[in-house]
Amino acid sequence: MSLPILTGASEWPQVLLARAAKGPVADIAAAEAAGAWAAWRKATTELSPEVVLHTISESGLRGRGGAGYPTGAKWRDCVSQPEPVRYVVANGFEADPGAGADRTLMELDPHLVLEGTAMAAWVVGAERAIIAVSSAAPDAAERLRTAIVEAEEQGYIGLSLDGPSLTIEVREVTGSFVVGEETVLLRALEGQRAQADQRPPHPSRAGLHGKPTVVNNVKTLAAVPWIVEHGAGAYASLGTAETPGTTLLQLGGATKRSGVVEVPLGTTLRAVVDGPGGGTAGSLKALLVGGPTGGFLPPEALDTPLTYEALREAGTLAGSGTLLALDDHACLVDVATLMTRYLNDNACGKTIPCRIGTRRLSELGAAFCSGRARPTDADLLDDLAADVRDAALCGLEADAGNPLLSVMRYFAPEFEAHATRGECPAGVCQPISLAGAASS
Amino acid sequence: MRTERIPGLAILKGMAFAIRQVFRPNLTVRYPEEQNPISPRHRGRLILLYDEAGTLKCETCFQCAQACPIECIDMGGVDTRNRYHVHWGAAEQYAERREESALRRSGRTVPDRVFDPFEPIDLAPLDEILAAGDYKPAAALAMLESAQAVYGHLPVAALQHIAHQTGADYASLYGMATSYPHLHFEPPVGHIVRVCRCTQCTLLGGGRVLAAFREHLGTDVGGVSPDGAVRLGVTECGGTSSGSAYVEVDGEPLPKSSPEDAATIAAALRANVPQGEAA
Repeated sequence: MSLPILTGASEWPQVLLARAAKGPVADIAAAEAAGAWAAWRKATTELSPEVVLHTISESGLRGRGGAGYPTGAKWRDCVSQPEPVRYVVANGFEADPGAGADRTLMELDPHLVLEGTAMAAWVVGAERAIIAVSSAAPDAAERLRTAIVEAEEQGYIGLSLDGPSLTIEVREVTGSFVVGEETVLLRALEGQRAQADQRPPHPSRAGLHGKPTVVNNVKTLAAVPWIVEHGAGAYASLGTAETPGTTLLQLGGATKRSGVVEVPLGTTLRAVVDGPGGGTAGSLKALLVGGPTGGFLPPEALDTPLTYEALREAGTLAGSGTLLALDDHACLVDVATLMTRYLNDNACGKTIPCRIGTRRLSELGAAFCSGRARPTDADLLDDLAADVRDAALCGLEADAGNPLLSVMRYFAPEFEAHATRGECPAGVCQPISLAGAASS
Repeated sequence: MRTERIPGLAILKGMAFAIRQVFRPNLTVRYPEEQNPISPRHRGRLILLYDEAGTLKCETCFQCAQACPIECIDMGGVDTRNRYHVHWGAAEQYAERREESALRRSGRTVPDRVFDPFEPIDLAPLDEILAAGDYKPAAALAMLESAQAVYGHLPVAALQHIAHQTGADYASLYGMATSYPHLHFEPPVGHIVRVCRCTQCTLLGGGRVLAAFREHLGTDVGGVSPDGAVRLGVTECGGTSSGSAYVEVDGEPLPKSSPEDAATIAAALRANVPQGEAA
């Protein structure tokens, strides 16, 4: 159940979806004919791990999981550890229940993800790599397993008597939203209770079973073969200088077309919504960027370029890479409150500011929705959200305030109507003064 | 007193007591193989300490609440000075656990499978699972998942057996089983309703659909309706929902969902219970 692939602008380069855009890659023969494993052959015969590591660093590739940490630096940190046993974990868990871009990539082109994972393991000297897939995506796991068997038959990976061995394993992980976070995912893979860990030490120093572990999103790893094949300079010339390359975005909601599209970083959100998304059916009220921990952006902010820093400054994040367009039917306070409640339900419960604080945040949101808010509640919300963020152990907690804060920041009239007059302009909530008037 | 006048009587009394003790049956049991009957409600006694100035020593660090595997220790809070100052206290005081504490106070039993008397189970399949996992506590999560696949749920007896055989803490196993949403203690029920909670489905009214199911099934996400007929869970639409929030009933996606439909579906499912083996 892969999502439809949307066509981007003709000048947008295709790094990740070059093969997948033409439909599912049938088997390894078809994949190789289309260029799969060429970078692997080139790297293992002509290049050394150090050269590839240098290429990745030079290319400026950054983690596509949301935080945007430079991939080369992460790998180098792992390589510099004296511990000989190292692991690579490809994070394809895709925690956002509404996201499907990673799953689509793994289903359509499993060899790309596999090649990238193998390359990462080869560079950092790991003999075992794990691709973590959500148990809600059985097709992706199945395709990857088939691809692994094919690649082993071809002799690319697998146990080897004379050279270095590399076994790649697909693990289906079940869990809540927080499992997508890297330290939580590692705990889940170890078979422990899914809770976040203090960082530092980062997983690149002490990760899976305490060994140095490279945890990268599958989108990050899928870009690696292209970089090795075309060179660091070619990749660095895509996107912007600080955040080169492309990423996958998922469009949905009120856009005319919905699906997955590959977009060079630095593109404005407007170009994505209007181009591949075909614009919105009704008038666009807000754009939710980044999934459940993301923030709402008003139409005026659509010129925000798609980079980690610009999105962060605008009060949201790249996150799961979903863009959800909202039209006038939606009440943002209501949606933000429900999102905060979702985050609270999915919190691992390790830090108190998250476990209790997100609950209080959602209760404050519910007070606004029902028109019971007190005059000081807006300040309290601001203050509490800052506390939760500052105490954060993981990404869920750090960004749990985003939905409500972005509504306060960009949609002040709608928020004020809820907070001070107990009215819901969209007619969704049932505050005291509108009780009985609104139905849905 | 008169007894003091008879020399040696106190010694004889002492001797008599000692001799009686020698022939009395032992009170000590070989714990944990044998266990004294203890009320299932017994939790020991929790005492908060006061310092020499008479102030409560509790710093509201929440370590106790966090460590407690069954969440019998919990705290709640309310800001009493309008801003910035949250005062903490017993959870019930702030209606943190309103539903359960209300049930307890009214004298009704709180449904909690773990403290219900549990039936022994056929341990043969579980022993196979344990052997496959090499009795390693590190593989406990996989064992719990396999056990749930075999028994349909996690019987307490299975949890105890795994804890006993692997040496893993029962409390940590219990903590793990409660922290993962796909593991559950209740036996399979007749029907299962799953709602997607992604942002797109929320936008399409998923919040209201979920609220309607919560209300009409009388349970929260992850729970079973009081009559044991329907479980309420979550699912993932994976970005495929359109038009209305993604809802699955017994694994089949509904073509359309709405709060009104939720009420009808809930009533229908609860009326026609036995598809599986509902309580």
